[in-house]
Amino acid sequence: MDALDTLIQPHRVHRSLYTDDKIFVAEMERIFGGAWVYLAHESQLPNPNDFIASRMGLRRLILTRDDDGGLHALFNRCAHRASTVCQSECGSARRFQCSYHGWTYSNRGELVNVPFAEGYPPDFDKADHGLAQVPRLGTYRGLIFGTLNLDAPSLADWLGPAGPLIGEFVDRSPSGRIEVRNCQRMIFRGNWKLAWDNAGDGLHPTFAHRSFLVLNERQHGGARSLSQFKASPDDTGMYGLDLGNGHMFVDQRPGLNQSFWETQRPVPGREWYADRIVQRFGDEAPDVLEMAPGSMVNLSIFPNLLIKGNTLETVDPVAVAETRLHTWVAAAAGAPDEVNVLRMRIAEDFPSLGNPDDLEIFERCQEGLAIPEVEWVDMSKGLGHPAEEVAADGVRRAPVTHEGPMRGYLRAWLELMSADAKLTTARAGETSFEKAA
Amino acid sequence: MDAPAASVLDDRLYQRLVELAAPDGAERGPGRPDLRSGVEQALHHEARLLDERLYRAWLDRFTQDCVYWIPLDPAGDPRTQVSYLLDDRRRMEDRIGLLETGWAHAQEPPSRTCRIVSNVEAWPLGDGDTLARCSTVVWEYRKDRLIPFASHNDYVLATLGENWSVRFKIVRLVDSRSDVRKFSFVL
Ligand code: FES
Ligand SMILES: [Fe+2]
Repeated sequence: MDALDTLIQPHRVHRSLYTDDKIFVAEMERIFGGAWVYLAHESQLPNPNDFIASRMGLRRLILTRDDDGGLHALFNRCAHRASTVCQSECGSARRFQCSYHGWTYSNRGELVNVPFAEGYPPDFDKADHGLAQVPRLGTYRGLIFGTLNLDAPSLADWLGPAGPLIGEFVDRSPSGRIEVRNCQRMIFRGNWKLAWDNAGDGLHPTFAHRSFLVLNERQHGGARSLSQFKASPDDTGMYGLDLGNGHMFVDQRPGLNQSFWETQRPVPGREWYADRIVQRFGDEAPDVLEMAPGSMVNLSIFPNLLIKGNTLETVDPVAVAETRLHTWVAAAAGAPDEVNVLRMRIAEDFPSLGNPDDLEIFERCQEGLAIPEVEWVDMSKGLGHPAEEVAADGVRRAPVTHEGPMRGYLRAWLELMSADAKLTTARAGETSFEKAA
Repeated sequence: MDAPAASVLDDRLYQRLVELAAPDGAERGPGRPDLRSGVEQALHHEARLLDERLYRAWLDRFTQDCVYWIPLDPAGDPRTQVSYLLDDRRRMEDRIGLLETGWAHAQEPPSRTCRIVSNVEAWPLGDGDTLARCSTVVWEYRKDRLIPFASHNDYVLATLGENWSVRFKIVRLVDSRSDVRKFSFVL
């Protein structure tokens, strides 16, 4: 592994960030352990004793809610000889019993039973053999994060200006809460950062999504989904933000000249559900309909959460050149059912018509990156450009096709990779919890 | 091009779909042997149309009120759950139209497919429609890889014989809860 700071230069990135196994292993420890990592949403474990599987990089977790409502992120790893103790994706359980030799744990992670206990050394104390767990957990508007880094900033500080933007996303629901439903799972053969590069990339839609743009023009005419990228996107006022700590924001709203609902491509059931909403809500129908389409912004929370449309997409690395994307769909809690039915169909629209082209291109990038002698990936667009502004809070704003947000997350990447943060696990009762918002 | 027809998907149609897709169905007993060859004629013809990428001819076999559904969770109600896709006729046309733009990168080069349709069973539904179930494996070859997509498929056929037509097609991928390889051809 070369000195990391030679691999990231102001205008370019070395290919080894995408291809080197040693860098990948270090990322899984330092970034997916040392940063605040998104784990799940509170609505996915609403009741006492609910649990849901999650991950921090390659570490498997069981995120649990105890019978008092407290949250725990337990490593799915028996304290005896390492077998996973939970095989379900989600469910409800007070206890997790390991199938290998029967050690049994509470959903707070305490070891509550060791069968045939006779024979252990006299100083064997069950309190020392609970499930290891994530020492710091926190929530922000229902989103649950965890870190193994006791020296990491507070969750609120880590999110910084990205926090209020999470708030805006959640506040599109009349109740100020989202309810996370099920998820679409996709896998691509490429490094996880290809998805990350793309998340702040306002340069690609014109080309990568040309099939989608041409289709909409031919079939539906006018200004439909993504048509703001048809020509000269920077003339529309759309912009990207480098929010600091690797977080990125792309705002497509200035590119629209009509409501979200009018811009939305027609999805199955559009007419019947819109009619119902008009009948039920009369003059307020346009505001109700506006809750159905996506937010028209992309908010990326480093290192593993892409909030786009009405979805929370987790970027889940599997290997240096293999990545899972799990796209969880958020319903607007408190909105009429009609809105949420439309949200389900809308959440299938671009993901099934547009995203395959993104994933195809990620795989093509990984193929291109295989050539050792061609070493650099260019990310210079907008560097030193007069249109790049830095605000007092450090947020950098630039026209939407600039690559500033990518350079921003790579700064955060370098900082986490270079910091020799001490990562720790905790025992039951030794963890801390911050409710940031 | 003519403006696409409005969607006919409403709550009643959703309800019918949910009843049809109830997890692996109520036990209906063995299929009716007298319906089987007519159903096989349709399903084998459909498989050939799709393998040959004759998508417009394929679409012509669907009724105006059709639904083409690839659920993620077999038991889910699509009104409260997202699917891989749930298309009415208009979005099926969009899906085919996307491939016809010539800019669908995920189909450049295009997939070559070979689908095996087996274990066909059929039952009459009260209203003149026919329910058919089969097991399908679609082998997709693209860019040096051959990948199987295994599914249990449900069909509601509105017509059998020469003019066979489909009202509902449900593709229940056996690994729909797992990480699915992207696919942009028609399953
Ligand atoms: S590995 Fe779990 S009880 Fe032995
Ligand atoms: Fe994209």
